[in-house]
Amino acid sequence: MERNWDDIEVHSSTVLTVGFIVNPIAGMGGRVGLKGTDDVVNRARALGAVASAHLKARETLHALKTLLKSSSGAVAIRWVTCSPPMGEDVLREEGFEDILVVYRPTEDTTRTDTSNAARAFMAHSVDLILFCGGDGTARDICMIVGKTIPVLGIPSGVKMYSGVFGVSPVSVAEIVTAFAQGSISTAEVEILDLDEELYRRNEWEVRLYQTAVTPFEPTLVQSAKMLITETGDDDARADIASYLADIIAAKPETLFLLGPGSTVKAVADAIGLEKALLGIDAWLAGKVAGSDLNENDILTLLKHHPRCKLVLSPIGAQGFILGRGNLQLSPQIVRIIGRENIFILATPAKLARTSILRVDTGDRTLDAEIVGDGHLPVIVGDRRRRMVRLVA
Amino acid sequence: MMDSEATVYELSVPGRPGVSLPLLDVPETSFPDVPLREELRLPELSELDVTRHYQRLSQRNFGVDSGFYPLGSCTMKYNPKINEAIAQMAGFAQTHPLQSEDSVQGNLELICRLQDWLAEIGGFDRVSLQPAAGANGELAALLMMRAYHKDHGEKGRTQVLIPDSAHGTNPASTSMAGFDVLEIPSDERGNLNIDALRSACDDTVVGIMLTNPNTLGLFEEQVREITDIVHSCGALVYGDGANMNALTGIVQPRDLGIDLMHFNLHKTFSTPHGGGGPGSGPLGAAGPLCDYLPGPIVERRNRDGGGYCYDIVIPDRSIGRTCTYFGNFAVLVRTYAYIRMLGAEGLKQNALHAVLNANYLRVRLQEAYKVPFDRLCMHEFVCEGVATGTGVRAIDISKRLIDYGFHPPTNYFPLIVREALMIEPTETESKPTLDAYIEAMLMIADEVRKAPDVLKSAPHTAPVGRLDEVKAARDLKLCDPTIFT
Repeated sequence: MERNWDDIEVHSSTVLTVGFIVNPIAGMGGRVGLKGTDDVVNRARALGAVASAHLKARETLHALKTLLKSSSGAVAIRWVTCSPPMGEDVLREEGFEDILVVYRPTEDTTRTDTSNAARAFMAHSVDLILFCGGDGTARDICMIVGKTIPVLGIPSGVKMYSGVFGVSPVSVAEIVTAFAQGSISTAEVEILDLDEELYRRNEWEVRLYQTAVTPFEPTLVQSAKMLITETGDDDARADIASYLADIIAAKPETLFLLGPGSTVKAVADAIGLEKALLGIDAWLAGKVAGSDLNENDILTLLKHHPRCKLVLSPIGAQGFILGRGNLQLSPQIVRIIGRENIFILATPAKLARTSILRVDTGDRTLDAEIVGDGHLPVIVGDRRRRMVRLVA
Repeated sequence: MMDSEATVYELSVPGRPGVSLPLLDVPETSFPDVPLREELRLPELSELDVTRHYQRLSQRNFGVDSGFYPLGSCTMKYNPKINEAIAQMAGFAQTHPLQSEDSVQGNLELICRLQDWLAEIGGFDRVSLQPAAGANGELAALLMMRAYHKDHGEKGRTQVLIPDSAHGTNPASTSMAGFDVLEIPSDERGNLNIDALRSACDDTVVGIMLTNPNTLGLFEEQVREITDIVHSCGALVYGDGANMNALTGIVQPRDLGIDLMHFNLHKTFSTPHGGGGPGSGPLGAAGPLCDYLPGPIVERRNRDGGGYCYDIVIPDRSIGRTCTYFGNFAVLVRTYAYIRMLGAEGLKQNALHAVLNANYLRVRLQEAYKVPFDRLCMHEFVCEGVATGTGVRAIDISKRLIDYGFHPPTNYFPLIVREALMIEPTETESKPTLDAYIEAMLMIADEVRKAPDVLKSAPHTAPVGRLDEVKAARDLKLCDPTIFT
C-alpha cells in the first residue's frame, strides 16, 4: 500500500481575527469562599487568593498552538488584545507573534476594563472574542457586543452558569480551530449571572441578562436512513416554534404563559407576540394578556384563567427549568399550574450541552413533585419530544 | 488521482455513427407535428467508444464483488450468484403479475413457502411479503398499529417511542403515519434507559419501534423487560428487523415480546443493495395483528377430493396494499434461493460467523480506536473516529480507507456516539480480509499522529477527491443544463 503524504496539497490559509481578553482576577474569590470576585478583589487577595486565570488561558493557548501547527498553516490567527495583564503577556508567553494591542487597562483591572476592551475589539471587527473568566466577564463583554460577535469563554471563574464556556481549556482550543476552519457554526446561548452582593448575604438570585452567540458544533440530524446532515440552532428553534404555535392556536380558551429565553421567544415570534427576552408574558385567545409579568400579575391572571399552560426552556449551561432566570414563577404559581401543564422546549444543540435538566424553586417538596419519576418529555422539534432526566 | 472520465456528450463527434440502420422498407408516412421535437441532441459515438466509456466507468465502481465493504447497519454480505441464476429462470422472470392464479401456481408456491419460512425464522404467525423495502415495512406496521388501536376504541394513542439510537427511518415513518415521536435515551451500557421508558409509557403511547441488536451492535440486555413495560400500558412492540443478521436461527424475535417486525431481505438474505434496489421488507405479525397485515398474501388450500392449490387472499382487516402486485417478486425469488441453499443450520452458522467477525474486528481495533460501549457486540460495533488535539474526524479516517482499497464504514451514525465509525464485516469475509482491514485501520491511526493532513485531504487515489455529500444529496442534479437546453 502506497502512502504518499509528502505531496499532499495544502489548503489556502484562513486567517481568523480573534479578540483575546483575560480577566486576571477571575476565579480568585472562589478560592477563598467569596462566591465571586466582582468588587471584592482586595479582600480576596488579603485572604490569600492567587490569580489562576493566566494558567487556564495558557493551557488553552498551548493546545491551540499545537492544533494550528498540525494544520500546516491552513489556519492562522491574528490576535487583537489588551496590554498586560489582560492578554498580550499570555499570548507572548505561549509564543504567538501576530498580536495587535488595542486597549491598555488600568493598573488594578476592573469590569470597566473588560467592557472597554470589548468595545475596542468591536472597532477592530474581530471574528471571535475569546475570553478567560467567569459569568461576570461574560456579562461585561456581551453587554457591549450583544449578538454581533461570537463569544467563547475559557472556564476560569467562580460561577459559570452562562452558555458561552467550553468544558475545559483544551476543548476551547479545539472549538477555536474548528471555528477558524469553518467547520462549526454558532448557536444562541444565555448569559446568566448571580447577583454577587445578594449571594454573599446568602440570598440566591441567578439572573438571565441577555443572549449571546457562541461557536457551536452543528447538531447532526438524520435526514434519511443514515444520511446525517447538520442543522443550525435557528432551524431547530423554528421547528419547535411552529409546532408550539399550532398547539397554542388550537387552544383559544387556555392561558399560555411564555417564560424567558430565546427558544420561547421564537414561539412568541411565531404567534405574533412581541415578547421581552427576559420576561414572562401571557397570551390568550390570540391576544396579549400581559407583558413582563411579576409574581402578583401572574397570580391575578391565574385567578381568572385557571386553565393555563406554562412554556419554558432550560436556562443557561446547567439546564435549570425553574429557579434560574425565572424567579417570578414562585412555588405558589407552579403549584397552581401543575407539572402536567408545563411544556419544556429545548433545541437538540442545547440538550447536547445540558443532558440533565434541573429544578430549584426554593421549595423542596414542590421540586420533588416536579421531578416526579425523574424524567420529563422535552419538545425538541416539530411533533418530536425526547425524554430527559430531571433532578432537583 | 485518475483522470476524470468525460461524459458521452463530451466524447460525441458529429457524424460518427454507432449503428447502421437498414434502409427504410416501408412507405413513408406523415407524423403529427405536436409530439415532434425540433432537435434531439443525442451523443454520436462508435460502438467501441461506448463500450470503452462504460467499461472505464464500471471499473471505478466499488462493490461487494470488488472489495471489503464493512458499511455498518447495511449488512453488505456477498450476494451469491446462484440467486441471480434462479431469479433469471424463465418460469420466474417471464411470468406476468396479471396472469390468472391457476397459471402461476409455482410462483405462488414460492411466495407461500417464503412466507412460512420467514414466519418460522421470526416466530410469527403470519408474514406478508408486500412491503417494498424496510421503511415501507415500518410504515405498514405503524398503520397496522393505528388500525388495531382504533378497533379497540383507543384513539388517544398518538406517541411512538423511539430509542435515540434508532435508524432515521423510524421517526420518519412515524411522522408519515401521523404520529408524534417520543425519543427514549440510551443508558451507559448502550441499552435503552428503562427508567425513561417507564416514565414515557402511558395511554397515549401507540407502541415502540425497537431495533435489536440496536444500532450500536449491542443486544438489548433487558429486552423482555422493555416489551413487558410497553405491553403493560396497552401499547404494541414493533421490531425493526434491520439487524436480524445477528439473530437468524438463534433467536426468534417473537420470543422477545415483539408483535410485528419487518425483515430486510437485502441485508439478512443477501439480495442486492443499492442502485435503487429494489428492496423488500416482508412484515411478520403475531396473534390478532395478523388480520391487519398488508395483502395480498398467499395461502395453501386443500382441494375437495384431493390435491392442493395456492390462493391469493387479503387478510380480514388488512390495511391494504403497500406495493403493486406481490411486492418485489424477483427479490423474493433470490431470498428463496438463498434460504434453500443454506438451510436452517446454514442460516444459524451465518449469524454466528457474522457475530464472530465483528467481535474479532472490535477487539483488534480497540488498541487504536475507542469503543465507547465496550462489551460483546453482535454483528457490528461502533468506535470513535476522533483523535483529540489533532483535528482529525471520523470522516477523514473513512476517506483515507478508500486509499487503502476499502469501503468506508458508516459515519456519524448512530448519533449518540461522538464521531461514530460503525463497522459491520458480515459473515462472508475471510480472516485474511479482516486482517488486511485491521492493518489499514492501524496504519491510519498511526497517520493520525504523524501526518494528520494526509487524512484531512483524503482520498488521494480515488477518481475524485473529497465531495460535499450533503449538498449532493440535497441538491441532486441528474441532468446537465448545458446539454439539455
